[in-house]
Amino acid sequence: MIRRKNKDSFDLEGYGGGKKAVNYDFILFFMVLAISSFGALIIYSATRGTLPGGVTDPRYYLKKQLIYLAAGIALFVGVHFIDYRKIERFWWLFFIAGIASLGAVLIFGYEVHGSKSWIDLKFVTIQPSEFSKIFMVICVAGILSKWKREKEHHVTFKKVVLSLAVALSFVLMVLLQPDYGTALIYLIVYICLLFISGANLLYVISIMGMMAGGIFFAFNAGYIKQYQLDRILVLLKPEAYPDEGAGYNLFQSKLAIGSGGLPGKGLFLGKQTNLSYVPEHHTDFIFSVIGEELGFFGAVLVIIVLGVIIWRCFYIASLSSDSFAMLLGAGVGFIILSQVVINIGMTVGIMPIVGIPLPFLSSGGSSLISMLLGAGLVENIYRWRESRKEHEIAYQQFK
Amino acid sequence: MSSNIRIRFKILFYLLAIMFVVLILRLYFMQVMSGELYAEMASESITRERTISAPRGNIYDRNGKLLVKSVPVKAVAVQPGIVSGNENVMRILSECLDISYYEIKKEVEESNVSYMDKVIIKQDVDIATVIYIEENIDRLPGVEVIDVYLRQYNYGSLASHILGYIGEISEEKLKSEENDYYYEGGDQIGLGGLEETYESMLRGKKGKVVYEVDPLERPVSIIRETEPISGNDLYLTIDIDLQKVVEEALYQSILEVREKKIKDTDEHYKVTGGAIVVLSPGDGQILAMASYPTYDPELFVGGISEDDWNNLNDPDNYYPFLNRAISSFPPGSVFKIVTSYAGLSEGVITEGSRFSCAGIWYGLGQNFPKSCWLKSGHGSLDIVGAIKNSCDIYFYQVGYGLFNKFNNNQELLQKYARIFGFGSETGVDVPGEGTGLVPDEEWKKEYFKDQKENTVWFPGDTVNMSIGQGDLTATPLQMAQAFSIIADRGIKYRPHLIKEIRDSEDILFKYSSAEEYQDLQLNKDFVEIIERGLTRVVSPGGTAYGVFMDFPVGEIPVAAKTGTAEFYGKQDYAWFTSYAPVGNPEYVIVGMLEQAGSGGSNVAPIAERIYRYLFNID
Repeated sequence: MIRRKNKDSFDLEGYGGGKKAVNYDFILFFMVLAISSFGALIIYSATRGTLPGGVTDPRYYLKKQLIYLAAGIALFVGVHFIDYRKIERFWWLFFIAGIASLGAVLIFGYEVHGSKSWIDLKFVTIQPSEFSKIFMVICVAGILSKWKREKEHHVTFKKVVLSLAVALSFVLMVLLQPDYGTALIYLIVYICLLFISGANLLYVISIMGMMAGGIFFAFNAGYIKQYQLDRILVLLKPEAYPDEGAGYNLFQSKLAIGSGGLPGKGLFLGKQTNLSYVPEHHTDFIFSVIGEELGFFGAVLVIIVLGVIIWRCFYIASLSSDSFAMLLGAGVGFIILSQVVINIGMTVGIMPIVGIPLPFLSSGGSSLISMLLGAGLVENIYRWRESRKEHEIAYQQFK
Repeated sequence: MSSNIRIRFKILFYLLAIMFVVLILRLYFMQVMSGELYAEMASESITRERTISAPRGNIYDRNGKLLVKSVPVKAVAVQPGIVSGNENVMRILSECLDISYYEIKKEVEESNVSYMDKVIIKQDVDIATVIYIEENIDRLPGVEVIDVYLRQYNYGSLASHILGYIGEISEEKLKSEENDYYYEGGDQIGLGGLEETYESMLRGKKGKVVYEVDPLERPVSIIRETEPISGNDLYLTIDIDLQKVVEEALYQSILEVREKKIKDTDEHYKVTGGAIVVLSPGDGQILAMASYPTYDPELFVGGISEDDWNNLNDPDNYYPFLNRAISSFPPGSVFKIVTSYAGLSEGVITEGSRFSCAGIWYGLGQNFPKSCWLKSGHGSLDIVGAIKNSCDIYFYQVGYGLFNKFNNNQELLQKYARIFGFGSETGVDVPGEGTGLVPDEEWKKEYFKDQKENTVWFPGDTVNMSIGQGDLTATPLQMAQAFSIIADRGIKYRPHLIKEIRDSEDILFKYSSAEEYQDLQLNKDFVEIIERGLTRVVSPGGTAYGVFMDFPVGEIPVAAKTGTAEFYGKQDYAWFTSYAPVGNPEYVIVGMLEQAGSGGSNVAPIAERIYRYLFNID
């Protein structure tokens, strides 16, 4: 495996190496495979007894998740063989695809928990807002990276405006569903991308200010509903929401995780979760199952594995001297990071309760496959970074 | 990569690390530091406890005949916290239980029970309905079918005053310290008679199931279970066949007396009620105890209706709840045995002392003439003759003598009344026993504290009391006890209703208080003198001769005393007290009819009929 000690100097070790037989970040690879397989196991534990959604087969959710996992791994590996640079040129295609799929969901979608987020393709249901996270990252990375005609990478005002317009388009489409949690992830990912792109901090701060103002306005104008406010208030005053809604979810989730203790109750033995006390325990609250059944050790292990995956994303992104690759890798990292922190934070009562999945672990194909796709893109960056370097060096020499 | 971006990556890595450290610290706090607390809360939040009611003990008569038993039935109960507001559930229940929707709604919404407690909607639900509800239990959240025990009375209303009844526990009782954490809302407890007295014996021990539930409160697994233990069975001193005879005799006689008119008037006797006690003098066992009017304990099974309850408490029905056998009434002449014994014992009279009765007596002064019930007078009598004829004037003089001895400092008549058990409870094991009243100076001072002139105990008070009048009252049971003391030559037993108590495995329960007795150390000679007088009551010329004319007193000598007590503003209260056979007493029979005139002619026939039954005489 090729490692680079000094990121500023040209890596002569890799120079001229071209396509090596082994050109894979195995840490990321194995961590992703491990955590998503583990996810299927935990989903089995969460659903084998409770049979959510009225299914009769205890292995229904396990089977589904394994199928998604197979598809996701195929994509994870398959995307490896496409040079990410080909994507860069066609970022606008992803914009169109993303907005179109989000538009389609508004027309053809069906509602779950008050949000029109799903399209039923008969053999499978798709949640376009999951895939579009990756699409938005591709678009924003394409816009904020070094443009062909530029000599040096520079985040201009024009780029900021354009990227903001693109990002807000995605956010708006998701808000129309309405899915505030996912929209929040889009905003966070966008701001982080803007920050890491090296854009003037003034832009970053003013856009954050705008968004804060927007949220404030939306609240005052009554676009934010009481139950959404409750989800935040419940953190401040959990005892005021004892029996129902957000307070109940949080209370049960905390009971499940807390009662897991240090060693946990054992796989398949979580009472709170296996008795359906924690709502959505196979999807958004899957971490409650982990906390209850595997205890502090298991929960920390899962957090560390997810942390390593995020770290690898950022690390691989930071390795790349190509600004698009850097932004793409970091973007994937941001998607995972923001969801991990908000989702786990929500189950332990330090984040508001918003309906977003835990990457690689929550039941559901769209989330798993898009996360594996994202991880695949990061591997792709890792692989092709060397040839890009070659290209850069050649270009420099040519100059 | 520009150094700017590199710095930002560095910041990013630090932020990443900080966020993950925060998450891990939070988990450490929840799972390691507070893990046990959460585990406790979690297990509390999913485990439920349910008690299993225990079968209440059965009640048998002295010969082992089953009087009252517990019948297990299915009842439909709901948790008001879950069901109220669920119109659909209440509609389904209304349909399959055949109760109106609004009745169910009212019951559910007005129940006071706590959130998880339950309210019984209907008891004794038929099996088809039970199956229907159990099959549709998913559509009926908060509804459950539970086992309860209902009382079944094999002899209808017979002995209802003795047996008592059971009903739902009151809220006050539930909250009182007596509850000792045993009872829950909806529990049935004994509310009268032996059911109340022996509640703790009869109720058994509830079982308990601790189980886990899912969020819809559906049980998923049982953690532990303890079986209920059946209550103990009571074996009464009552002979139910005798009880039946006694109640029928009482009822028949009351109907007959109601047909009679008061002498020289057009007025009928009202006979608002009556009581009979049949006591075994050798051990204090109550063989039969009847009170009229009576009630049907069956009315309380499954909850009494408002109409039935109002009827039972309507004065026009003469208070059927009142157990007259243990309620206080003016005793009249039957009290004369006490005066006799007191007079003999204190030397006021001897066996040979004779007094003359001219129908009127001026012993208290010319302004206070006291007359005898027989206006023509009895002539010269000794104590035996005085008892036989129930001569008031003889006893006035005994009473006056008792008053004058020591200037009434020792209140001698009251002293003997108390020795014979008057003025205090006999201690019989049914609740609500009256004490009667033995009036004395102290009582007068308290009772007439607003009328100073009446606070003095006058000689006339003792004189009135000597024939069982004045403020003196006694219960039929006290009277039976007093006569059993005479019959048993001074042995005073506590009248009781329980022969033995057996647990659910038919093992005799240790139960000692039944055998309590006290030797009053009476002078046997005096008692025999009184007995001789009592025996003459049923002999020619005696006050009860008319009734016992055909009774074979030669074979079965009967000692008896009649009484006709005046009660201000009411018709006379009629008494008849007796025991037989004299010499080897087996039975004491005491009868009392409210507002029924003469005891000799109106109560004695009841006793006579009972003796005929007891001694197999046609």
